[in-house]
Amino acid sequence: MTQATRITWGVLAAVVLVVWPWLTDDRFLHHVGVLIMLTAIGASSLHLIIRTGHVSLCHAAFMAFGAYGSVLTVMSLGLPFPIGLLVGTGAAALLAATIGPIVLRLTGKYFVLITFLFGEVVRMAIVENVALTGGSNGIFNVPPPHPIFLDTRAYYYLALAFAVFAVGLCARILGSEFGRAMNAIRDGERLAECSGVPVIRFKVIVFIIACALAGMQGSLMAHYNKVLSPENFSGIISLNLVVMNVIGGMSSLWGALIGAVFMVMLPELLRGYVNIQHIIFGAILFATMAFMPGGIIEAARRVKALLSAKPDASAPPLARAGAAE
Amino acid sequence: MTTPLLKIEQLSKRFGGLQAVADLSYEVAEREILGIIGPNGAGKTTAVNLVSGVIEPSSGRVFLDGRDVTGQKPHVLVESGLVRTFQATTVFAGSTVRENLRRGAFRLLYPGFLATLFDTPKAREARARTVAHVDEVMHWLGLERFADHVASSLPYGIQKVLGMGIGLAARPRIILLDEPVAGLSAEETDHVRDTIRLVRERGIAVVVIDHNMRFITDLCDRVLVMAQGRELAQGAPRDVLANTAVIEAYLGKRYAKAQR
Amino acid sequence: MLEFLSRLEILLNPTVLGQVIVNGISLSAIYILVALGFTLLFGIMRVVNFAHGEFAMLGAFAFYHLTKDLNWPWMIALPAGVIGVAAASLVLEWLVFRWFYQRMFESMIGLLGLNMMLIYGGVLLWDTHERNIPAASQEVLMVGDIIIPIDRLIVVVIALAALSAFYLFIRHTRAGLAMRAAAQDVETAETQGVDTRYIYKVAFFVAILLAALAGSLWGQIYAVSPHLGERPLMMAFIVVILGGMGSIPGAALGGALLGFTESIVGTAFGAAASAFLSFGVVIVLLVFRPWGILGTPEN
Ligand SMILES: Nc1ncnc2c1ncn2[C@@H]1O[C@H](COP(=O)(O)OP(=O)(O)O)[C@@H](O)[C@H]1O
Ligand SMILES: [Mg+2]
Repeated sequence: MTQATRITWGVLAAVVLVVWPWLTDDRFLHHVGVLIMLTAIGASSLHLIIRTGHVSLCHAAFMAFGAYGSVLTVMSLGLPFPIGLLVGTGAAALLAATIGPIVLRLTGKYFVLITFLFGEVVRMAIVENVALTGGSNGIFNVPPPHPIFLDTRAYYYLALAFAVFAVGLCARILGSEFGRAMNAIRDGERLAECSGVPVIRFKVIVFIIACALAGMQGSLMAHYNKVLSPENFSGIISLNLVVMNVIGGMSSLWGALIGAVFMVMLPELLRGYVNIQHIIFGAILFATMAFMPGGIIEAARRVKALLSAKPDASAPPLARAGAAE
Repeated sequence: MTTPLLKIEQLSKRFGGLQAVADLSYEVAEREILGIIGPNGAGKTTAVNLVSGVIEPSSGRVFLDGRDVTGQKPHVLVESGLVRTFQATTVFAGSTVRENLRRGAFRLLYPGFLATLFDTPKAREARARTVAHVDEVMHWLGLERFADHVASSLPYGIQKVLGMGIGLAARPRIILLDEPVAGLSAEETDHVRDTIRLVRERGIAVVVIDHNMRFITDLCDRVLVMAQGRELAQGAPRDVLANTAVIEAYLGKRYAKAQR
Repeated sequence: MLEFLSRLEILLNPTVLGQVIVNGISLSAIYILVALGFTLLFGIMRVVNFAHGEFAMLGAFAFYHLTKDLNWPWMIALPAGVIGVAAASLVLEWLVFRWFYQRMFESMIGLLGLNMMLIYGGVLLWDTHERNIPAASQEVLMVGDIIIPIDRLIVVVIALAALSAFYLFIRHTRAGLAMRAAAQDVETAETQGVDTRYIYKVAFFVAILLAALAGSLWGQIYAVSPHLGERPLMMAFIVVILGGMGSIPGAALGGALLGFTESIVGTAFGAAASAFLSFGVVIVLLVFRPWGILGTPEN
């Protein structure tokens, strides 16, 4: 793609994202729009972590810190939403800075297991800490960031702005020299370290940024849903974010975004069939990992290579996060 | 006498009950090529790992330019000008030669997190400088032809040279090469040997590991022979070759007796 | 501090103590049953079976239906259900598991998918409400001041019998020997004439058998629901990490540690405290000794 076509596509996408809510008055579609934008924040931030070779199964725990941090700041301390958002995001970042240097030393399966357990600990802590979090009943009547945002269309623009910020930040990081170092880490940790990349420090930086973004999503989600319960942050939610990355394809940020759109649309289409929806997710997860570990992106690449039928169209090897041992 | 560029003192490493490296001492001067030979399992790779900070020694010291750098992390040592290559995985297999070298040049390329994020003038300048430097490294290693080839598609000998290139891209003062010619044909071996000489001509000191006697004696100013983690002999290639203990370790006791 | 001591004092009451011991043994035995299968699949096929708990769930439902709907006596229903589930699961082995052999990372995520399918398939089929398996016996045994429900005793005896049978199988049969060889090093085992495809099937069958048995016993003690598998799975993780992934003695040690911790701490300080404690210990262990108490580090 040349610079000009890229800009054309970018402008086109921006126009579509801004204009479409006015083409319909269907509140439900606006609602789906909000969910896609917020979910894209979580999926793309998790993508950053995956790109350093770690699959985290506790991303929802950081959302929980963001959500409870923000909601408690606003509801218990009576402070305005922007401060709540900052507190929530900061709390998630602080948690990441605390556990990151410890867990990021673990490789592959051990990292998956420890994050899985850690996510469960955070969920249990929320359920047990009734005085602060309302336990498993959760917190009701969470106020919107501002009365304007009681309108779903208005909230869509708020979510859009944050999503553009988050996804843009992720894309910028991946495109920078820092991103090049991340790729080096994923492809060969020891070789990267011996080429001068401070591997652990970089992984921790990525982890903090990604978890802060997850906290941000948690806060925005809580003030949108107006209720907050531990079930919003269970292992299944973390897993869904992994699913998005897996079905989209783990080697590119686009994969996470495609996965996020897909995973939000599918349940909305299957509304009222919650169980079937989970079963379908499960089947997708199984089938992708068994037969197409490169995800949709990789499949598209292969189809494209087949169509253009160039014999040398060798796709780059799959990003096998966690398999680096 | 000036301080040696690299000085190892009484370096030791135990893995549980196994003494992998024991009381190893050696020095490398500027522009010197030191060869380390020894049979499989002699502790050569472990010695390189200890010096390059990949693992921490049980005891002993490492000095770089007179400065104690024992136990420093590999990326810190790269900053101080010490790089190494690996015996097995020497390159980023899925990336092009150019990309491999850029990754190797990380310390010249990376201007700091915020600078690279906002692509400041400083970042752009560093990038321009690195691109030129990488081109130069490709030129003198004869890798230009392969610049846009994916590393895994290259012949093994070229991959080994690329592995050295990744280290050299960081502008080191000393490079440690772990078996750079293992598994190569005679022709490829000669190519690597000539490349190592070029490296030295650039003013870079080299420590090279192998168990190919001829390759090492051809190339090195001094040779260190290891067996079972210990130094057997150290000195000029000719003297070391004549050493009975070395012949015993290499060719067996009977051969050593016959020579006497 | 005082409160801490007074809570510990509860344990000195003989009735409570008896319960704690019986609980400790039965929990340990169940955890070991689940963890053994889990560690077997990991050790031999390099598969991290995130769906392992669901086979416990299936075992419990089979037991439930056979006793409750068909009115089979439990002595027949239990082995029939367990073997039935393990045999039926061979279909899943063919459909799902075989794609993930020796592909550790893909297996983790892919089998999380199977986990979801089985849980929510179960919800569709059985709803989420909890069912109770009728007690095998209402009697109690009095040993001095200690009261032991016969029901619990049966669970303990069956679990210990299964563990002994497993031990004999793995130590003294050809298949067991081949399995241990494959767990050491698949490639070498293959060159020595071990038919890995067959061994994988046997190992899978045994692993599911143990999980289904654990689930049936669990369902007998607590209740049966499609979410039954979640706790055993979590516990299998903890046990296997404690003991060392792939290590069979490790699974036994880890299961005993976890079962007694849960029984003692749970009785004195509540279920939440014991959960936090065991999770905390495992997280700390993962950081400092990820290969577990009895495992060996890789490389
Ligand atoms: N990380 C390690 N853990 C345990 N033992 C090791 C480790 N690395 C090397 N060894 C042992 O140390 C000895 C020396 O190995 P190495 O340095 O690789 O020898 P060489 O490179 O000379 O062939 C060998 O016996 C090897 O098995
Ligand atoms: Mg070696």
